[in-house]
Amino acid sequence: MADDPQRPTGNRTPPLPDEAAVIARAAEGDRTAFAQLMEHYQSACYGLAYRLLSDADQAADATQDAFVHAYRAIASFRGGIFRSWLLRITANASYDILRRQQRRPTTTLPDPDEGAPELPDLHAVNPVAEATKSELYRHLEVALRLLPADQRTAVVLCDVYGMDYNEVAEMTKSALGTVKSRIHRGRVRLRELMAEHRELFTG
Amino acid sequence: MLNQHPDDERLSALASRDDDATADAALASHVDSCARCTELVDELGALRMSLAELPDLRPHRALQLVPPVADAPVADGAAGWVRRLFAPALTAGAALAVVGLVGTAVPALDGMAAGGSIFSNVGTNLDGAAPGAEADRASRENEEPAASQAGLAPAEGGGDGEGSVTAQESQSDDFEQVETFDRDLPAERSPWPMVLFTGVALMIGVALLRWILVPRAG
Repeated sequence: MADDPQRPTGNRTPPLPDEAAVIARAAEGDRTAFAQLMEHYQSACYGLAYRLLSDADQAADATQDAFVHAYRAIASFRGGIFRSWLLRITANASYDILRRQQRRPTTTLPDPDEGAPELPDLHAVNPVAEATKSELYRHLEVALRLLPADQRTAVVLCDVYGMDYNEVAEMTKSALGTVKSRIHRGRVRLRELMAEHRELFTG
Repeated sequence: MLNQHPDDERLSALASRDDDATADAALASHVDSCARCTELVDELGALRMSLAELPDLRPHRALQLVPPVADAPVADGAAGWVRRLFAPALTAGAALAVVGLVGTAVPALDGMAAGGSIFSNVGTNLDGAAPGAEADRASRENEEPAASQAGLAPAEGGGDGEGSVTAQESQSDDFEQVETFDRDLPAERSPWPMVLFTGVALMIGVALLRWILVPRAG
């Protein structure tokens, strides 16, 4: 994932203070150290999985799968931003579930006319989140759920989690042009869905 | 400068400062002079920033932070088994198919060589006999006179005409029995076509299972 200094990260889980040492212990097989890392980043992983899958149980399953993959692969972690590494694993686990789900669609697809879906508790790392921001986030979560899956995946990976176009194309195994088109169409659609709450952007 | 508004996706590209959009002088010039497009680019930019601010989410249920066993396999169910067994099963199927094909083709080619034409074998098969049956029958027909000449020679030598007639009748009866034997007994079927069929079926089966159970790219 690209490290964009312009991107706001205040609501996201920051690194552990002694993260490099914890990672080193986990890579040597220290299960307690690994558990410490996963506990710290589980909200980040679950948030990504939930936004890709739009289903709380599937998001939990994907996060769990990601932990197993991470446990197997942590010995091969070669530095860099651990959060980005873990989120990439989570995105892959979620995308696997999404592809299976798209190939065998169930009859219980979410109905956009049912109103706002029940969202997990917003977990603001900042102790006091402004009410306006919370309202904006809640409406954005609902609007994201209403996007077609391919546009939602591209927007979430690129705009919410800061992957660049090439990373999204690689992860979704799509052409670069297709990814750009999905992102731009998704953004335009999101803007339409958020039209009634336009004032929240400047609130 | 553009005479009409660029499409919204192009404006979205400008909002995220994509190289191709920022390098487009006509697009930039239009946006600078168009209040509607300027507002849209600003809104898309603000939307993008808000998306980047979305907070992490707390799981709705407790997650197992560490796999229970150090080398616990990934719980990928039937798809994992299909993925692991795909290559060996496909190879086995291909091997069976090749063996079956060779086993089926060689006798047919032999039959062509012996009979001069594959149509003689086809005709025999249509009568319900195995490909080699006609050759066997021809062989027996050649042997019968030889046997009668060898085995019945003393009778003929004895000048016993009645004995000779009986022997010929017996010989004729034997021939009839052979013909009846050929017609009544089911033809001995070659196993090679079944081997070929099994190999092909195995390959198609594993390919179908993989297609159904294992997630594909894209």
